[in-house]
Amino acid sequence: MINYTKFTLENGLTVIHHADDSTQLCVLNLLYKVGSRDENPDKTGFAHLFEHLMFGGSKNIEEFDTELQTAGGESNAFTSNDITNYYITLPANNIETGFWLESDRMLSLDINQKSLDVQKNVVIEEFKERYLNQPYGDVWLKILPLAYKVHPYNWATIGKNITHIENFELNEVKSFFENYYSPNNAILVVAGNIPLETCKVFCEKWFGSIEKKDTKHSNYQQEPRQMEPRSEHVYNDVPLDLLVKAYHMGGRMDSDYYVCDLLSDILGSGKSARFFNKLVKEKRLFSELDTYISGDADPGLFLIEGKLMKGISFETAENAIKEELEYLKTHLIGETELTKVQNKTETNVRFGDVNVLNRAMKLAFAEFLGNIELVNTEIDEYLKVTPALLQDIAKNMFVENNCSTLYYHAKV
Amino acid sequence: MSLERNIAPQFHKVKDLHFPEYQKIEIKTGIDLYAIKAGTEPVIRLDLVFNAGLTRQLKKAESSFTAQMLSEGTSKKTASALADALDFYGAYFQTRSNADDAIASLYCLEKHLKSCLPIFIEALVDSIFPPKELDIIRKNSIQKLLVNEKKNNYLCRKVFYQKLLGAHHPYAGFSEKADLENLNLDDLKSFYKTNYLSGLKFLILSGNFSEITLGYIHESIKTCLLQNSIEPRGGAAISTILGKHFVEKNDSVQSAIRIGKLSIERAHPDYRKLQLLNLIFGGYFGSRLMKNIREDKGLTYGIYSVLESFQQTSVWYIETEINTKNREQGLTEIYKELAAIRNEPIGAHELEVAKNYMLGSFLRSLDGPFSLADRLKIIIDFGLSKDYYAEFVHIINSMSPEALMAISNKYFSAENIVEVLVGKK
Repeated sequence: MINYTKFTLENGLTVIHHADDSTQLCVLNLLYKVGSRDENPDKTGFAHLFEHLMFGGSKNIEEFDTELQTAGGESNAFTSNDITNYYITLPANNIETGFWLESDRMLSLDINQKSLDVQKNVVIEEFKERYLNQPYGDVWLKILPLAYKVHPYNWATIGKNITHIENFELNEVKSFFENYYSPNNAILVVAGNIPLETCKVFCEKWFGSIEKKDTKHSNYQQEPRQMEPRSEHVYNDVPLDLLVKAYHMGGRMDSDYYVCDLLSDILGSGKSARFFNKLVKEKRLFSELDTYISGDADPGLFLIEGKLMKGISFETAENAIKEELEYLKTHLIGETELTKVQNKTETNVRFGDVNVLNRAMKLAFAEFLGNIELVNTEIDEYLKVTPALLQDIAKNMFVENNCSTLYYHAKV
Repeated sequence: MSLERNIAPQFHKVKDLHFPEYQKIEIKTGIDLYAIKAGTEPVIRLDLVFNAGLTRQLKKAESSFTAQMLSEGTSKKTASALADALDFYGAYFQTRSNADDAIASLYCLEKHLKSCLPIFIEALVDSIFPPKELDIIRKNSIQKLLVNEKKNNYLCRKVFYQKLLGAHHPYAGFSEKADLENLNLDDLKSFYKTNYLSGLKFLILSGNFSEITLGYIHESIKTCLLQNSIEPRGGAAISTILGKHFVEKNDSVQSAIRIGKLSIERAHPDYRKLQLLNLIFGGYFGSRLMKNIREDKGLTYGIYSVLESFQQTSVWYIETEINTKNREQGLTEIYKELAAIRNEPIGAHELEVAKNYMLGSFLRSLDGPFSLADRLKIIIDFGLSKDYYAEFVHIINSMSPEALMAISNKYFSAENIVEVLVGKK
């Protein structure tokens, strides 16, 4: 059970307080409701580049990191399709330093041409290190445009290409900040060894005077239903063939989310999973075969990704996957197998909750989704799933007209 | 009164690092169970540490293959029956092999421990190494190796250890395809018998557990077959090939770089001082390498220096991946920084920031049951005092710029360096 208290400042900042006196630490997690889905299709990668710039100093504070480190703290951030999330961990008695730093960069950022140029280079090197200079590093860059034709999930958070990153200008940075980085577009979680009263005082003191802004979110279109099978062949200097199949599924708040998550465990999680036993061990078609869901707020993807054994054709491998999916559609899953994946989920939730920073992030994201109670009720949603429900969803989802397939060929 | 945003709020320095109480229980001859209770969630992790790392290998890949094969079947259960039995309770059985040991861990909810522990122990004491499972693991490992060999940072790490320690040193024991192909069942069974059945060094239990759980684990391990009766083996000889080594990979857009040398063992009186120096040089986001090469010049996504201690030796290195066209500039800057930290005393403010950050980071690492268990393992592995972390506060605070300069001249000298570069010519 994760306890919390939620309140809102006059400027619209949502604050969630979560007390834990078993730790000597305190965490500030600040989520801004802006991600790569808010970007212009011709200027992608901006939300993520912007995240880098947030560490470049603000109006009253020259060096964000140095001030934080001086108080014994550490921080980082990540950008997803939907959000940009910043977090700070400090010794509990120094948490006011965190309030000072986070509030100042919400109030007014200090961005100059040099820090923009440097961070563009850093992000371009990140692009190369993670996506270009790794075997199979560009799979995500290939599969998204295949699966999404209209919705901005069409591109990865890093951006479509390096040129987009190179072309950003200082005035765009400023207007992005003015629009999205407002108290009314953010969720602050204060978690750890700090009483509620202290938390309220610090929130009011440091964030209370920041003015509300007229934040406008981009009006992107939802993805229409896919009506035909899609596929693409890629040839690259990799040692093994790789097959990826991506099926459209519901969004994070849709009822099929939990069903899909369990389906993904039944097929692909651990050594007792079906794909591993049938296709990796018994038929020897793949050396690795994983399933996962993208977990985005808007309708996401159910992905199957596997490396083929040498000498196995794409056709044989793909047919075997389809056969397993067919079996799922025609045979009810037994209670034992369902209980197994539900138990796994409970373990994952409990282990995840050990860490106070994880709890803080989970609270922020649930509030962003629109139902903070999810942090406590989500496990029940998994327990409610029945064999019939799993079969229904599998029948609807695992059809070729709903699927994008990537054939990543090893160049001979 | 208006808010003075340009003045930092008052902060407090970390005054003491308190390592919480833990129990040490002798289960049988030479085997202790360490139990550290922390956290609020009803979860536990049980680590069994075996003398079964790279240093025990007679042939390459024995250690990692044996670790992988432990969950592949017993005389009573097939591999999939084992997996089914543990997965049903949502438990995780993980094995990993390291340089100096191998660890088998059970993660589960406390309420399922009685169902899971017997299966976990059965897998460890009655592993039968079915040939079919070895064949699968062998072929999958070869596929993984083929992918790794396409990665510049993997190649760079491999060549670095081979040049620094010698190609035959156990810590440089990277497998080739032929090693994976040639390993046979008898090798693995004999490795298992010597280093697992007779090689249990100690156990660590962490999480939020009851006394009943602790007693149950104690009894289960006491009555199982695992022993600690292994014959110690002497340290391996080190033979270094100093200087610059280049591995050509013409298809890459970035080059992987690793530069380093041998360093002092963890128990050395200078070790903790060197940790502080390394932090300042390249050990955190505010380090000199990061500030200069990433934040000022934008040459890389990340650059770090690392002090890595093994049982037999320690290694210190700098690692990064840099765009090919900026490679020379990056190298020049790295060596410039290395000379600078030897030749000029560290500024008072820079030192203050690093000290505070380091103490804060220790506080973070002593938070939560599993992080504490990892720290405790270091204390056990290296035979350190229980006050090892508490003493840090005093040692760090006593370091002056002059004292650190003496440390850098001792351990960051330009001599005895190995530099490995993997990338385009």
